[in-house]
Amino acid sequence: MEWEPRDPPEGINVTPTHPLSELVTLVAGIVGVTVVIALVGGFFLDAAFQRLPPRLETRIFGSFWSGLFEEATDHPRAAAAEELLDRLATHWPDNPYELRLRVVAFEEPNAFAIPGGLVAVTEGLLDELESENELAFVLGHELGHFEGRHHLRGLGRGLILQLGLAVLFGGSAGETLPLLVAGIAETRFLRDHEREADRFGLALVYREYGHVAGADDFFGKLPDADADLADRIGSWVASHPVSEDRIEALDALAIERRYPREGALTPFADASD
Amino acid sequence: MELMIELIVNLGLPLVLLILAYFAGTLLERNHYRSIRVRESRSRRMPVINFRRAPTTWDIRDSGLVTGHVVISVDYFKRFLAGLRAIVGGRVKSYESLLDRARREAILRVKEQAHEAGYDAVVNLRIQTSRLANSRRNGQGLAGVEILAFGTGVKRASIS
Repeated sequence: MEWEPRDPPEGINVTPTHPLSELVTLVAGIVGVTVVIALVGGFFLDAAFQRLPPRLETRIFGSFWSGLFEEATDHPRAAAAEELLDRLATHWPDNPYELRLRVVAFEEPNAFAIPGGLVAVTEGLLDELESENELAFVLGHELGHFEGRHHLRGLGRGLILQLGLAVLFGGSAGETLPLLVAGIAETRFLRDHEREADRFGLALVYREYGHVAGADDFFGKLPDADADLADRIGSWVASHPVSEDRIEALDALAIERRYPREGALTPFADASD
Repeated sequence: MELMIELIVNLGLPLVLLILAYFAGTLLERNHYRSIRVRESRSRRMPVINFRRAPTTWDIRDSGLVTGHVVISVDYFKRFLAGLRAIVGGRVKSYESLLDRARREAILRVKEQAHEAGYDAVVNLRIQTSRLANSRRNGQGLAGVEILAFGTGVKRASIS
């Protein structure tokens, strides 16, 4: 047997691709596809949920929330708050919901629009409010969510999208990346909702009182009232725009629509009165 | 603020691990390949063939089993790339170099063992690859790879 000692050849069994370039290609490709799926899926889900009739919505979700929050029954301001809600709703002629108000036992001032026409406000909100105008804006904001069907959009969209992506990408390292991207894409949408709801709320306040003084007092009570850089970066991915920005936007809207920004504040009617 | 911290932890920690793994892994791999090439050059005179029988012209005086065995771990960066490939498919290039060096290292160790035992050649070389399971993920995933190469070392009467 003729035999020549020789070194094994290189570069055949190993593809000469730089691992960093492969990383960039893969990540960019997967992120790109995820974004497209999130956008397209979101578009179709929106269209579907916009068509859900309010009565059907109330029937489906009506009893769904009753056990979810710890309710603070017999809050002294609950009745007056519900009455204010009804009063505000009269300025929304197309209102298809039978609105109800519930008080939930949280200390932080907050309010939620829940599918089925339920507005939930926290104990903290009712305790800390200084004027009726302030509450009117908050309730009007929640009515704004109902008007734009935001509460439904948030629910259906987020849920089904996360589910679909989890099924598609149920893998190892690939798991976190698409979900994270989808999550961030989601939050931008929610911020637009918040802005729309702010605008609707302001309009309702104007129609009820003839001016918008006191409407943005609520923002001064939120944790991010003094926004610093960390908050701003956090807000880029957070669902709510920073309070300062919201106040600015409301001021701009008031000027644009010529709502008077000065006026007498209506004190809140306590049950003790 | 909690969202910031959550983001830092969820993104930042894997990112740091990736960077660490990339640099450490690349360095280790480069050094390993350098060592492999040097030793391959040095040992090229010892033939390793995988015919089942030695050539009939050989006058064999002695023979015995020789084995070469190596265990190499997959670094975090390679595993991440492979995970992405698991979604889209295609050649898992990050594992190619891993298996290539492991195989060549195992064969070099066969030669070294044969040389230590005084053999002139290795006949009937066989290679076996085993997957080291990842203990954290119920046995799924790849923690590392083990290559075993074995054959019959033969000593010839005279080298012609």
